[in-house]
Amino acid sequence: MARKLLLDKVDIPGIRSYDVYRREGGYQSVEKAIKQMTPDQVTDEVKKSGLRGRGGAGFPAGMKWSFIAKPEGVPRHLVCNADESEPGTFKDRYLMEFLPHLLIEGLIVSSYALGSHVTYIYIRGEYAWIIDILETAISEAKSNGFLGKNILGSGFDLEIYVHRGAGAYICGEETALLESLEGKRGNPRIKPPFPAVRGAWDRPTVVNNVETLAAVVPIINFGGEEYAKIGIGKSTGTKLISACGNINKPGVYEIDMTISVEDFIYSDEYCGGIARGKKLKACIPGGSSVPILPANLLLRTVKGEKRLMNYESLSDGGFAKGSMLGSGGFIVLDEDQCVVKNTLTLARFYRHESCGQCSPCREGTGWMEKILTNIEKGKGKSSDIDLLWEIQRKIEGNTICPLGDAAAWPVAAAIRHFRDEFEWHVSNPEESQIRNFGLAHYADPLVPAVAAV
Amino acid sequence: METPLSELSFPPEKLAKVAELISRYPEGKQKSAILPVLHIAQEHFGGWLSPEVMDYVAQLLHILPVEVYEVATFYSMYNLKPVGKYVFEVCQTGPCMINGSDEIIQYIKSTLNIGVGETTHDGMFTLKTVECLGACGYAPMMQLGKTYREHLTKEKIDSIIAECRKFASVNN
Repeated sequence: MARKLLLDKVDIPGIRSYDVYRREGGYQSVEKAIKQMTPDQVTDEVKKSGLRGRGGAGFPAGMKWSFIAKPEGVPRHLVCNADESEPGTFKDRYLMEFLPHLLIEGLIVSSYALGSHVTYIYIRGEYAWIIDILETAISEAKSNGFLGKNILGSGFDLEIYVHRGAGAYICGEETALLESLEGKRGNPRIKPPFPAVRGAWDRPTVVNNVETLAAVVPIINFGGEEYAKIGIGKSTGTKLISACGNINKPGVYEIDMTISVEDFIYSDEYCGGIARGKKLKACIPGGSSVPILPANLLLRTVKGEKRLMNYESLSDGGFAKGSMLGSGGFIVLDEDQCVVKNTLTLARFYRHESCGQCSPCREGTGWMEKILTNIEKGKGKSSDIDLLWEIQRKIEGNTICPLGDAAAWPVAAAIRHFRDEFEWHVSNPEESQIRNFGLAHYADPLVPAVAAV
Repeated sequence: METPLSELSFPPEKLAKVAELISRYPEGKQKSAILPVLHIAQEHFGGWLSPEVMDYVAQLLHILPVEVYEVATFYSMYNLKPVGKYVFEVCQTGPCMINGSDEIIQYIKSTLNIGVGETTHDGMFTLKTVECLGACGYAPMMQLGKTYREHLTKEKIDSIIAECRKFASVNN
């Protein structure tokens, strides 16, 4: 059984309440940080831990904190990004719903480190019931002296507010989130200036993901160096993975990043294998925007080694032969799934979510959706596949924010690894409406493959 | 520019909530409260945001009406035309599609005899399709009011429709 740092107490009855959470050792990191450490020492522990942003980009959290500008007399803010919207990702929801005090605890310690006296949790509007859970936790923490004025007699003041979004994937991008927090459309800003210099209301601001901020709690409790001993290489600590698709046990799992993809999918501790005894066809291992991989490349790297569930191993081979850990949204497709259809739903998603500021993204996402719709309906031309490739290539890197890349990558990877399936759709317009392409050469390497063609 | 005074008004407890929301943001940055205030307005004024309601929100926040329009039209949770008493917002993105959301949407369409974006004649139900709501492990799913309904089946859809009808008849 792997070591758990975040979800270790999730099964304790009543852990959502302050009393039980506190009895089980909750809020110790706040006492330790505020009574025994300076804000800079807290930041140093986070740096030593090697913690990387858990929202998807994987940027070192301690380094991000150290960039925050500290001009005299200007308030600073911490904003917790709870706008979890990347298809396949539902880990932050789980953490907030079942362990709200863990997030609040992490927010208090992190706010202390950054000097934020008003911290916001920007949560996606659809998570309406979780807002109530978080606000209850905040008021409990406040009535027990962990929030408000002069926390634990330290002179440190902090208020935490939940800010409800209203349905926009783009607000998960940190500058769009700040625009939205200011009451505007979620149009990403051009960087620089970075939020650490000019963020919310032009004040220095750090935006971190829910899981990142929760991880600060064990880092302070055990020390950054201890935390860094868990995991491997630059993938330190534990990671929440939300697993979905055609598996026996969808759900949220905390892993230490030394386990293999194969174990994660097939062991009973995690996904429990492919549902209904089917074969593994493909997987999008880190949220919908990361490249889809066929089974053979998913389970082993090009060098033939077992691929592991961590930042380095999942990206081994680059985009040609690898993918990304991303947000940890792990989407499994079995032999009955159609890659063209799946790619179409993702293209539609990104078209729907493009904010419309940059032409390559605004026009390109809609164009890709139209072409994919035609191919999926058996009305595609063989030149459409090359056209799709060209469009995605012209979106990537040519937009203000990473949504353009996020829209381009799934289409690129689908064509890169499943081109024969796209071609089969084009050349078999009628048959493709009745049945799916099946497994073909990328068959599940763990079981004898039966090609469908 | 002076916004004409609206005839609409929140009851005192909602006005107090608006004041509390505004106090969460720096002074002079009351516009920041627009998303939460629009949520309250939509819930209070019949499930959608008419131009009059948006003008009222502008007045409450001391901003121009156009600042409210541009926000209300950007975010998918705000309804800009009337909707039914119960809005079924069914997710259709990848992970839900893999687990049969197409059949669920088809079943709701045929059971309620409406298309996507339409409302039943009795004003009870509206069907919307939405993009990923973060319930991928519990697919297929839909949002209904403040809650998620997950692991949907045709039988579950039947019982949700019956539950809504029953709730509406008790509360009328």
